[in-house]
Amino acid sequence: MLGENAITNIGSRAVAVSRELGGITILFAQILRALVPPRLDTRELVKNLHKMGNRSVPIVALTAFFTGGLMVVQAAPFVQRLQATSLAGWAAGYAVLREVGPILIALMFSGRVGANNTAELGTMTVTEQLDGLRALAIDPIRYLIVPRVVSMMVMLVCLTVIGDLIALLGAMLVAKAVLDIEFGIMYASFVENLAPEDFLHGVYKSLAFGLSIAVTSCYFGVTVRGGAVGVGRAVNAAVVAAAVSVMLLDFFLTYLNV
Amino acid sequence: MSFVIDRIFGTISAVGAYAIGGVRAALELWMVFVGTIAGIWRMYGRRGARRPAGALVEQMHIIGNRSLLFIVVTIGFIGMVMIYQACLQFSRAVGDLSQVGVQFLRLIVSDLGPTLTAMMLSTRVGAGIAAEIGSMKVTEQVDALRMSGVLPVDYLLVPRFLASIVMTLGLSILGCAIMYGAGGLTAWLSFEVNPRVFFDVSMVRPRHLILGLMKALAYGAAIPIVSGFCGLRARGSSEGVGWATTAAVVGSSFAVISIDFLLSVGALWLLGGDL
Repeated sequence: MLGENAITNIGSRAVAVSRELGGITILFAQILRALVPPRLDTRELVKNLHKMGNRSVPIVALTAFFTGGLMVVQAAPFVQRLQATSLAGWAAGYAVLREVGPILIALMFSGRVGANNTAELGTMTVTEQLDGLRALAIDPIRYLIVPRVVSMMVMLVCLTVIGDLIALLGAMLVAKAVLDIEFGIMYASFVENLAPEDFLHGVYKSLAFGLSIAVTSCYFGVTVRGGAVGVGRAVNAAVVAAAVSVMLLDFFLTYLNV
Repeated sequence: MSFVIDRIFGTISAVGAYAIGGVRAALELWMVFVGTIAGIWRMYGRRGARRPAGALVEQMHIIGNRSLLFIVVTIGFIGMVMIYQACLQFSRAVGDLSQVGVQFLRLIVSDLGPTLTAMMLSTRVGAGIAAEIGSMKVTEQVDALRMSGVLPVDYLLVPRFLASIVMTLGLSILGCAIMYGAGGLTAWLSFEVNPRVFFDVSMVRPRHLILGLMKALAYGAAIPIVSGFCGLRARGSSEGVGWATTAAVVGSSFAVISIDFLLSVGALWLLGGDL
């Protein structure tokens, strides 16, 4: 009996996951289709760019600052043991630009912007505003979803660039405070050991992260059912799906590029 | 002229309102924390206290067992990526990959394992707690609890708090193991590092384990407190629940990062180069 139950459970989980993957793919195709004659609602786009980008700068800056500092703190035992101060900039800069910076900023972005987007679209769905738009012959995908997807992609890239800079500054400050390494030495270590590819690797990853966060959060937003409880559940599902997709994309993009 | 003065006063009052709001929120968060600690005593420290039957086990199941697959997948992939990048750099700069596994394990145990597991948990568990408590708040179930003479913090937060501490510790240990295993596999398959060289535990000392476990404990305590606080602050209807969930994810992720930073700097300050 127990075995049968477990198999049923696994099967229904698998079906649910495939249904969601299929739904996300269809939504993605619809978004691409809506982009073909590229008519964007400019007002909605600008509003979203401001809300998603500018308003996220403080939290992204704080996260990035701590991330840069943490990388130096993690490298500190070696640096102190080997007396190799030039290593600190290499380790911290490389880790921040290629991996930790884009991932942590994307996770924060998914928490702040992605979850918020799901909540907003979910509320609109629950209160039947999407049907209202359809009744007015306005395509909700073109009017609501495409501007959001575009602004999330653009803004995550911008925030990653800003965040990288702040993380490197944070690394310099923490290196000065904890290890007593002069700013000039850290700067020289960054310049010597980091290549433009390291930076670009992080940036193009963040473009992919932005797309996946946008599409998953919109999907879970427009498929909400069941009032306030449903909106909460959808936001939960959206952040989980965004986190998984960020990790998977990170893995594949790291392998493809080299 | 008066326009400029108005503008300046407007900015000052906006900054002031922001600061007052921040201080008030911090105080409220602190009260929730103290209330939860007191609630543990009220619920579990005394004989004959009214406890919701099976709540702790249920929360442990929701927080721990249901997160298992999520943690295994995300932490496994990030472990592979981390070791891939590390091997790439080491082979370019040093050319010798025999040290990668040893150093990676030290880093996993004292930092990456617990922190990344907790980051993942703060999205899943934090959002879940805030969504659940927030929905109860906006549908006035929290007020109903208070009316029946039950403190909402005792009934809702205490089981989640205890369950989250236990399960974050467990999942952090699992996360470390998975990251290490996935990293070893990647190093072996992509860079031909002998697993016997990679899986060398000689560099890990008790202090690394203690630091990692302390971090996991702090994250496990912080996530339900921050998200429960956000859930209890939910207002309005479905939009309020969505806001609360967003705030919970951001707040608990940020709590994880700042706790990590504080504990890491503290440990470095105490132990210096011996860490």
